[in-house]
Amino acid sequence: MPIKVQIPQAMRQHADGQANVDLAGANIKELLDNLGAKHPNIVARIFENGQVRRFVNIYLNDEDVRYLDNLQTATKDGDVVAIIPAVAGG
Amino acid sequence: MSEFKIEKVDMSKDPSLERYSRQMRFGGVMEKGQRKLLDSRVTLCGCGALGTVIANSLVRAGVGFVRVVDRDFIESHNLQRQVLFDEADIAANLPKAEAAARKLRVINSGVTVEAIVTDINRTNIVELAKDVDIILDGTDNFEIRYLINDVCVKFDKPWVYGGSIGSHGQTMTIIPGQTPCLRCVFEAAPAPGEAGTCETAGVLAPIVSIIASFQVAECIKILTGQPETINRELIYVDVWENITRRIKIAPLLGKVDCPCCKHKKFEWLEGEQGSQTTSLCGRNAVQVAHRVAAKLNFDELASHLKLMGGDVSYNRFLLKFTVEEYEFTVFPDGRAIIKGTSDLDKARVLYAKYIGH
Repeated sequence: MPIKVQIPQAMRQHADGQANVDLAGANIKELLDNLGAKHPNIVARIFENGQVRRFVNIYLNDEDVRYLDNLQTATKDGDVVAIIPAVAGG
Repeated sequence: MSEFKIEKVDMSKDPSLERYSRQMRFGGVMEKGQRKLLDSRVTLCGCGALGTVIANSLVRAGVGFVRVVDRDFIESHNLQRQVLFDEADIAANLPKAEAAARKLRVINSGVTVEAIVTDINRTNIVELAKDVDIILDGTDNFEIRYLINDVCVKFDKPWVYGGSIGSHGQTMTIIPGQTPCLRCVFEAAPAPGEAGTCETAGVLAPIVSIIASFQVAECIKILTGQPETINRELIYVDVWENITRRIKIAPLLGKVDCPCCKHKKFEWLEGEQGSQTTSLCGRNAVQVAHRVAAKLNFDELASHLKLMGGDVSYNRFLLKFTVEEYEFTVFPDGRAIIKGTSDLDKARVLYAKYIGH
């Protein structure tokens, strides 16, 4: 069972319009690298100088990876990883 | 034909609290909570989509004092989701805060509604925030939200963030010292054009109502003295993709090296003043504001503009004129929103040419 990565609406144009991409990876970094290998244009939307951009958060099963092990947080089959940018409108 | 005589009911003279009876019957509020609501004071920053839903609910719930602050005027594309406005408000050229206050006073004459038409910035935020119990976020940008966050952390006041776009939205409740603050969760604002705006990505009214309603529920819990019942997660809802998420953010408190709530550096409040000229994201419009509020005489300005060939109309709240391919909306404090350009320098030149320095 792969890991499901949820792509936010604002980034889907860089992932062939997909809302979810099934991927493999032992940790968040590997998973996102694999996402970037499939969809190279999305990398610059998520990362800046090798770090996750400051208005983009990565959630593993509804937990913020910043209080887990950040990009080194281990992932396993069946996990759901959500990429969620800040929402500005109002 | 029978004749009906309609008498105006002055609810403000009704001490019975009857109008709140269904809310008081709810165990979480009761009469004690209702009296607290009536004694409470709220500042609502921004009165657009989220803001009109929030203001409507607060005033109906009997929050005793609601200050509505907004810098904008009403346009036809607002009516799809900004529930307090109608076509007559557009025809009357009313600013949003004023139009909202007029509706709200008719809805509930027993509470006080204060309308303030201004651009919220670091020079006025303390004044707007200092005499209220809580701040609610109805703004559409992170610059003001970080300013609200700074003020609330500095003065130890709760506030509730909400944002919505497309079919999704987010909300979280901030009680300084007890929950992560906005900068713990979102370290920086989205870069221009990165996150989309309601103008580029659109927005559905239902997601606005949902997020705003969460914000009001949180507000009622806090104002009735029950902060232990607040939602301590980041709520994320998408009404089109059928997603509801509750993201655990509580462990971020203290874990992230937050400049605001950990180091008490209030960069938005005390830092160098931001640009006075702001591109209104996605609207092909620029706001030009004064560092110090001016006091414009619209009669004089209007006759001056007519001489320059502009098409001018005004009331005591705002002046509109169209010249070249630009549409100006000018406020009495000297602030102007110029439609037809997103170029800041061009906007400054236009402002200087038609309104002055």
